[in-house]
Amino acid sequence: MIKIEGLTIRLKTFELSDFDLAIEKGEFHFLLGPTGSGKTLILESIVGLHRPRKGKIWIDGKEVQGLPPEKREVSYVPQDLALFPHLNVWENIIYGIKARGLPLKDYESYIGDLISITKIEALLERYPARLSGGEKKRVALLRALASKPKLLILDEPLTGLDPSIKFEIQQLLKTLHSSFQPTILCVSHDFEEAYLLADRITVFIDGKVQQVGTKEEIFLKPSSNKVAQFLGWKNLYPVSSVAKDSDQRRWLLSVNGLLFSVPMTPDRREGEKWNLFIRPEEVMILREGKPVKESLKRNIFEGEIVDFMDRGRYHLVRFQSQGGNLLFEIHIPNYAFRNLDLWKGKKVRVALREESFWIIRH
Amino acid sequence: MGFRHTLMGAALFIFLFYVGLILSLFYFIGGKGFWNAWVNPYTLYSIRLSLVAATISTFLAILIALPSAYALSRFEFTGKNIIDTILEIPMILSPIALGAAFLIFFNTPMGKLIQEKGIYFVFEIPGVILAQFATVAGLATRLMKASLDEISPRYEAVARSLGSSPWKTFYRITLPLSYKGLLASGILSWAKAVGEFGATVTLAGAMPGKTETMPIAIFSALASANIEKAVILIFILLLIGIGTLYSVRLIGKGYRYD
Repeated sequence: MIKIEGLTIRLKTFELSDFDLAIEKGEFHFLLGPTGSGKTLILESIVGLHRPRKGKIWIDGKEVQGLPPEKREVSYVPQDLALFPHLNVWENIIYGIKARGLPLKDYESYIGDLISITKIEALLERYPARLSGGEKKRVALLRALASKPKLLILDEPLTGLDPSIKFEIQQLLKTLHSSFQPTILCVSHDFEEAYLLADRITVFIDGKVQQVGTKEEIFLKPSSNKVAQFLGWKNLYPVSSVAKDSDQRRWLLSVNGLLFSVPMTPDRREGEKWNLFIRPEEVMILREGKPVKESLKRNIFEGEIVDFMDRGRYHLVRFQSQGGNLLFEIHIPNYAFRNLDLWKGKKVRVALREESFWIIRH
Repeated sequence: MGFRHTLMGAALFIFLFYVGLILSLFYFIGGKGFWNAWVNPYTLYSIRLSLVAATISTFLAILIALPSAYALSRFEFTGKNIIDTILEIPMILSPIALGAAFLIFFNTPMGKLIQEKGIYFVFEIPGVILAQFATVAGLATRLMKASLDEISPRYEAVARSLGSSPWKTFYRITLPLSYKGLLASGILSWAKAVGEFGATVTLAGAMPGKTETMPIAIFSALASANIEKAVILIFILLLIGIGTLYSVRLIGKGYRYD
């Protein structure tokens, strides 16, 4: 298990204070945040390249913040991979085993398995200059895993790759993790990447941990506006007033004059300042004449289609409520878009399910 | 004449300027005086002294320049900028001033003590080596730092994370990756040491058969109107210079790890 408490680092141009993190053994953990937020600095401090001013780092119960990198058993795959250009693929792979003075024969079958999973059997004699981008990534991953580190650190492993290679490396990371269960800490600015691979995610924005949770928790229940905005949430509206419904079980939220009915939750109180998120992919455009489920009837709004756009994997539709009070984005699958026969200015009704909302305190 | 031709004309002018200068030396080749100068023991001594002293001084310079260059290239520490600036002093200060500074130093109580209890430098062969060392150590550090700067510290970081100690990382990663640049730096420093005149003549003097290096011998030969001897030594220095530049080019050619 990896534990970091109160990590404080000061460099010439950057300062990080009181950073905490916990990663379970065998977990694929993502440190997610915008570019330039200091994520790489955190990674490099765990590797041992920066000495923290304060704070502690434990790896499997051993305090390591005062140890040099070679004593930490933390393998590191930087963004530029840094494959040793003067060593061939095989020499790169066994570098860590030789450097640690470990007997190679004890690792041969494990490395053999890694080589066959990464499919680099034919490349072992080659020098890095003669490898493709995807091959280099695979070799760098294998080099980092070969000596069975206690923690594998990946810095933006999928950035700058062609989509096909990106998919291939994603699959490989998944396979490697499920086959060998290494503990992985991966830095990324791309939520999609994290969503596909992570067991748990730490969202790190403006030098602070904003939220820690499973990918579903982070995506479906962002804890703050910052997290939601970072995840690319578009339909965010300040709630102007909150009232209890007549049955005392639901909140009635007023947003730009429209009333939204949401279930009452014990952790929220009247008088707090709230923001309402509407999840674009959970909004339904209703077909005329079709019966509407009872559960949907609470939040039905009339309006018109203002605009739409083919985004490849889905269609983005902009909907404006009647009277122009509220404009929000709806993502609908391509087949549904075709069936609905939408055009600009078409009058439609939309229904919002319970899952369509998320409320965040200011 | 167009833009392109004007510029190419300037390049051709520089080329002819130097080639003409070299060709003019051939006017004095041959004749009895020329061959006498060849076999003169003092000429041979100055050639030998120059090559041996330059090799020793360059070796000593590299011994201190390589670790210094690594420290300047990789670490942040107080006084780094001052050290970096001081390294340039031998490059901008007149070599005679450098030699004179040494002479003055060896007249201070500390300098006298070094000479009495250790090695005599003033007007002695160690003085030749010291003067050459002082001239090239800064240059060697600068050149080696430039070579090390080209190697991403990321390689070292990864090697360390894989369990390599700093020494092992230097030996197995940094050195193999930068050896071409380091070798070229060494060769250029050696050539600079061979050609050193001002500091050497001021500190070690110009005694034929003792402290007279090739550049000093050229100066002495001209002073005594021995043009043939001067020409021979100029040719040798030219050969060393061309050989140096050619080998540095050869080192830089091609990529090894394909």
